Amino acid sequence: MDPFKEHQQNLTRRLFFNRSGISLGSAALTWMLHNEKAQSKSTDNTTQTQTAHTDIPHFKPRAKRIIYLFQSGAPSQMDLFDFKPTLQGRRATELPDSIRRGQRLTGMTSKQDSFPVAPTIFQFKQHGQSGNWISELMPHLGEVADQLCLIKSMHTEAINHDPAITFFQTGAQLAGRPSMGSWISYGMGSANSDLPTFVAMVSGSGGQPLYDRLWGSGFLPTRYQGTKFRSVGDPVLFLANPPGINQNARRHFLDYLTELNQLKLQQAGDPEISTRIAQYEMAYRMQTSVPELTKTDDEPEHIFEMYGPDSRKPGTFASNCLLARRLVERNVRFVQLFHRGWDHHTKLPSTIRDLTSATDQPSAALLKDLKQRGLLDETLVVWGGEFGRTVYCQGRLTTEDYGRDHHPRCFTVWLAGGGIKAGISYGKTDDYSYNITENPVHVHDLHATLLHCLGIEHTQLTYKYQGRRHRLTDVAGNVLQDILV
Amino acid sequence: MVPIKQRKKLTRGCVSGLFSLFTLTSLLQGQTPTPDLTFNQDIRPILTDLCIQCHGPDSVQRKASLRLDTEDGLFSDRGDYRIVIPGNLEESELFQRLISPDEDQRMPPESSGLKISPEQIHLIQKWIEQGAPWQQHWSFIPPKRAVFPSVRNTNWIRNGIDYFVLKRLETEGLHPANEAARETLIRRVSLDLTGLPPSPEEIDTFLLDNTPDAFEKVVDRLLASPRYGERMAERWMDLARYADTSGYQNDGPRYMWRWRDWVISAYNRNLSFRDFTIEQLAGDMLENPTLDQLIATGFNRNHRGNAEGGIIPEEFAVEYVVDRVETTGTVWLGLTIGCGRCHDHKFDPLSQKDFYQLFAYFNNIPENGRAVKEGNSPPFIKAPTTDQQQILKQLELKQNQAERHFSDLRSQLSHSILQWQADAIPTAIPDGSIADQLIAHYALDDNLDESKSRTPPGAFQDGDSPFVPGRIKQGLLFNGRHYLGLGDIANFSYFDSFSFSMWVFTEPNQGGTLISRMKDEHHGSGYSVVVENQKIQVNLIQRWLDDAIRVETVAALNPQRWSHIAVTYDGTRTAQGISVYVNGKSQELIFHLDGLNQSFAVDEPFRIGGGGGLEGRFHGRVDDVRIYDKSLTSDEITILSTAESLHEILAIDPGQRSDPQIAKLEHLYLMQFAPESLTASYLTLLKTRKEYRQFYRSIPTVMVMKEQPGIRDTFILDRGQYDKPGTKVTAKIPTVFHPLPKGLPANRLGLAAWLVDAENPLTARVAVNRYWNMYFGNGLVATLEDFGSQGSPPTHPHLLDWLATEFIHSNWNIKELQKLIVMSATYRQSSYANNALRSRDPENLLLARGPRHRMAAAMIRDQALAISGLLVERLGGPSVKPYQPEGLWKEIATDTDYEQDRGDNLYRRSLYTYWKRTVNNPTMTNFDASPRETCTVIQQRTNTPLQALTLMNDITFVEASRMLGERMIKEVSGTSAARLAYGFRLATSRFPEPAEHTLLINSLSTFLSHFQENSAAAEQLINHGDHPRDETLDKATLAAYASVAGLLLNLDEVITKE
Repeated sequence: MDPFKEHQQNLTRRLFFNRSGISLGSAALTWMLHNEKAQSKSTDNTTQTQTAHTDIPHFKPRAKRIIYLFQSGAPSQMDLFDFKPTLQGRRATELPDSIRRGQRLTGMTSKQDSFPVAPTIFQFKQHGQSGNWISELMPHLGEVADQLCLIKSMHTEAINHDPAITFFQTGAQLAGRPSMGSWISYGMGSANSDLPTFVAMVSGSGGQPLYDRLWGSGFLPTRYQGTKFRSVGDPVLFLANPPGINQNARRHFLDYLTELNQLKLQQAGDPEISTRIAQYEMAYRMQTSVPELTKTDDEPEHIFEMYGPDSRKPGTFASNCLLARRLVERNVRFVQLFHRGWDHHTKLPSTIRDLTSATDQPSAALLKDLKQRGLLDETLVVWGGEFGRTVYCQGRLTTEDYGRDHHPRCFTVWLAGGGIKAGISYGKTDDYSYNITENPVHVHDLHATLLHCLGIEHTQLTYKYQGRRHRLTDVAGNVLQDILV
Repeated sequence: MVPIKQRKKLTRGCVSGLFSLFTLTSLLQGQTPTPDLTFNQDIRPILTDLCIQCHGPDSVQRKASLRLDTEDGLFSDRGDYRIVIPGNLEESELFQRLISPDEDQRMPPESSGLKISPEQIHLIQKWIEQGAPWQQHWSFIPPKRAVFPSVRNTNWIRNGIDYFVLKRLETEGLHPANEAARETLIRRVSLDLTGLPPSPEEIDTFLLDNTPDAFEKVVDRLLASPRYGERMAERWMDLARYADTSGYQNDGPRYMWRWRDWVISAYNRNLSFRDFTIEQLAGDMLENPTLDQLIATGFNRNHRGNAEGGIIPEEFAVEYVVDRVETTGTVWLGLTIGCGRCHDHKFDPLSQKDFYQLFAYFNNIPENGRAVKEGNSPPFIKAPTTDQQQILKQLELKQNQAERHFSDLRSQLSHSILQWQADAIPTAIPDGSIADQLIAHYALDDNLDESKSRTPPGAFQDGDSPFVPGRIKQGLLFNGRHYLGLGDIANFSYFDSFSFSMWVFTEPNQGGTLISRMKDEHHGSGYSVVVENQKIQVNLIQRWLDDAIRVETVAALNPQRWSHIAVTYDGTRTAQGISVYVNGKSQELIFHLDGLNQSFAVDEPFRIGGGGGLEGRFHGRVDDVRIYDKSLTSDEITILSTAESLHEILAIDPGQRSDPQIAKLEHLYLMQFAPESLTASYLTLLKTRKEYRQFYRSIPTVMVMKEQPGIRDTFILDRGQYDKPGTKVTAKIPTVFHPLPKGLPANRLGLAAWLVDAENPLTARVAVNRYWNMYFGNGLVATLEDFGSQGSPPTHPHLLDWLATEFIHSNWNIKELQKLIVMSATYRQSSYANNALRSRDPENLLLARGPRHRMAAAMIRDQALAISGLLVERLGGPSVKPYQPEGLWKEIATDTDYEQDRGDNLYRRSLYTYWKRTVNNPTMTNFDASPRETCTVIQQRTNTPLQALTLMNDITFVEASRMLGERMIKEVSGTSAARLAYGFRLATSRFPEPAEHTLLINSLSTFLSHFQENSAAAEQLINHGDHPRDETLDKATLAAYASVAGLLLNLDEVITKE
């Protein structure tokens, strides 16, 4: 932005603050709304030196918001999407060196004396006009196959869960960087004044643990971190009044508090106090707006039927999918669901059945529901895990049973909705679903593309920390033009 | 970049257009361009921000072979043109490229995404016009003790700090603020130095003290308080990335609190920053290090450790060293050294080679890249607390006394045995063995019923084993097909100590699973003792290969003979914790696998002769199997390995008895037949030994630094990747700095001493700046963690240097430095600012007023506990688990749950709050506490609705409100007005103004009538929280006071230091 114009605006704002004294209305927007600059200089040390993104969107956005259905633990691509019919004839044969190429393996299988090929035992079928191949494990997704853009050539750098999921979330393997939702929150701000910009929800039990930093703000100010909505207790931590305090008593409390704080404001003149007064009001509004959102009683019967029976049980993936729709309806920018349990080193056939039966119907329902409400065009939905799984068997291979180790070199994610070509398959892998043969897509590329869909040029969304401008895509990332509408 | 071509001359109009824009802007800002530019303050920031990425130290990224970060580069002669010619704007390529109308020529190029502002262009123009003076980056020039500048208002000056601050204010045409009110001042300094507010008594003492050194007395009292060490340690823990868990996805517990104790103590006993540095970085390398100096090195073991199954240990071993280099670089040098991991630093004169030379200092630790999942990862040491050291000494003393007492009776013992032997009727003497902590004994004589197992007797599976002659009476013969199942016994796991003792007889080609409690499949989980190729194998398996221990004896068993086998495990989860004895002799072991990281307990029966699959069934004879739930001592094993019965030993001529036979005889005699005095002495001896062992086992450990023998090679890693080693390097100080002083070793100790060498340009500056930030909320250098060229320049460079040199001259005296800062007139100013000053200097960089900002998370909670009277002021110790909403751990990590503490541990200071890296305590997090994943220097201060929700609704604060309410009622007898004033003063350190007082009184009556009408609600509110309420108080009254107290704890003023 032109420094002269910027200066004039600042000047106007400063006048406004001086004249209005407390300037409640404007300061109230600081947390929820993208309004960094409206906050007058204060002792909130995180507003210093970093300028706001007045230039965003950098170009016309294709989507207004994102729902990311993260499948933690890494689903098996060759049992779900990456159909390899020729493998059936190679059951139990040794994975050829020409395919394995001496690439590194995890410590769990690197000492195995044999790497027998384990073809999937599940049937695949082509669906819809697109002819997208989808496994029998996901019949509901098959119904919306024409909405999907299957990227079969995802690859990543990490081979273990923590670094890999951290990489997916933040663009770096080690902890400390902001998560993608935080970047989006920082870049775009909120479009809803009563709800957080970035909401995370967790479902599934067992399997690999998750960590708060996956939706954390890293070195960005903490106001950009994802707010985790919980299915037990308060949906947002500390949202409910303590026992014995109802909303009426709370209102009295806030009225006195505001008056006392205003006396202090008059005496001390610190604009930070007016911000605090506003934040208490915001907190009060959240006490109503969040429960309204999370109580799904008002949904009609056919909606619950669509998402499946689990959708009535708080904390399930189905219930979270329904909440995700309610959140994007209220214009929350970034909603991320984490479903645990996909880490199928052993007994893959039985465990993947459990996982798909819990997630297939609600994932498909979410797409249908968004579409019927006209929201799919402006909402980008992403589904995928942190890496893929090996074609070779971990542990004992039998006719009904096998396990698969971590495989970073190729796996499948799908995208649907806002700005993405529907009913396509992008990228190819070799006959063993082991190496990519066409159009590799790196995690940074996916990030660049997601930001692009929101109207953000990924190289321009930066934050200066420890002497350099950081960004979600580090120093890489190419927008996948081929999959954009 | 396009090659530099012959430039096009700019028209005059272009330049004047820029000028006019600049003039307009600067007028609007109410500033005039500074007449004298300095390179470091005005020009270097522009170059580093906009040019250095392509024209800087990074040789790979460098364009056009041009460097603008060095003097040589900036003034270089490029043949037909020069980059900068002092005084010559027209011929200085640098300037011409900035204003070129030709897009291909203009810098920075469009593609960089960077833009230069007209003001910045103007500054460069002025600088060239003024003769383009150049300076080395300021922070690499060692600080010089600055002379106090002359100032007009000398009355204001209290100490050296004030000269520099006042000089700047006078230059800017500003005046310092009045001194803050005494209540404000004592509250400010109490919070700053101890993290806790002053008590009303402390305030009154100060208010009534009319002596000139009244404030100094307060400061001295605070610096001497044990709470001072806690307050300082809390900040240091952020830098040291302290946590109670290891991080990464498993995020299991670790025990580093003894290191925290050390930090608290170091601050409280005012260890110099020099020793504070050396002991933490290299205490282990000092001559004859004390236990404390070893504990101090935990600093560089506080980094995360990855215990995830299947990781490649070499990859993470590199990460740990990188973390140490980055942390040490940030904490002491204030440099972003980490950039050098992958490439030459893009802005500062630090090469990738420099990085790996620093890496080499920290690369010689005998550690494994795969961390232990639950507990400390080697190397670690036992770190008894002072109390525990006392107890250990006492126990040792008691044991020694018992040893002496018993050995005094030795001659009596032999004599007594001889006498008894003569009198005894040998056939009537029952045999015996080690009975202590024996949980099962399978004699395997004739039948299974005689076994002394507490579980139902066993049963043969897949066929019966015949009873055959054994080592002691009879034993069992296994043929490799069946086994003996013994049900749910010996369900040990990896934290338990346990032992097995048994006799075995095999033919040369026989063997298999002797005993086990494991899945009956090949490589199944569980534990087993196996004979394979006549060697004894011990397996503790969670998941075969990567989560398992397997050890094997070097020596083979003699076949066709009975051998006694004893296996002990001490619960340390390492192969080191396993011992195998054959015929009473400890065996040398080979560690095949040593990566056990989880419990190996399984829901399987204890088996003799089976487990681990059909192929592994035992073939051979087994006799007399004993199970102990302790790790047997070698003395005990000696006795167990003596097969001869007491009766048989007695039959041997006393002179012919072997030592083990004598040991067994003595033991059994003393346990059963000896005169009471002898038995008592023996039992006391056994008891004191056991007490010592058990107590020693309970002593906490702490991870420490340690050098392994020899030097591990260090290589420059291509792009920082563990598997891409390049050139070999050795430990060396980065070339930009003064070298290691003569006489210092080229190791960690040398590095540590170099950091606190008086010549070091950065350490003292970085340290004093951080302390300054604790008090003023800003550093003199705003970027506390970056003193490099991308960091902020100091607002008061001379002050920074003066403080740094004072710090060094005081022999790095930390308390003295704190005192110097808080005694200054600068610090004592009121924080009030009028609108004019606030808009002139919103961030208080000029220091024309005192600090005012929101407190950090720990201080907010600690203050609430303190003013409600709940705070438990116990110094040091293990971490505690205060309130936290239920289920937070479980919902994202199924196998762990937060077990909240009860009682005192709910009310300890926040630096003791259990810190789980992957799920932080939300009360802390909502107020910007660092997640402690990596070294964090700057505490953020955001202002969010989540903070409002926390203060209003978190049980921590709701309970504190109720207790504060009780204090108001109970500690003041009188009117509600007086009570409210008291409560207000507890919270703010001052009495309420009339308007405030009226509001409090009104609010009380509102709440009172509300709760009088809703007595159930009142009861609910005042019963919230673990601390019992005073039942004698009227419920509605207490609820009303609790609500007003809640108001107080939510006040902006209360959570703000001003």
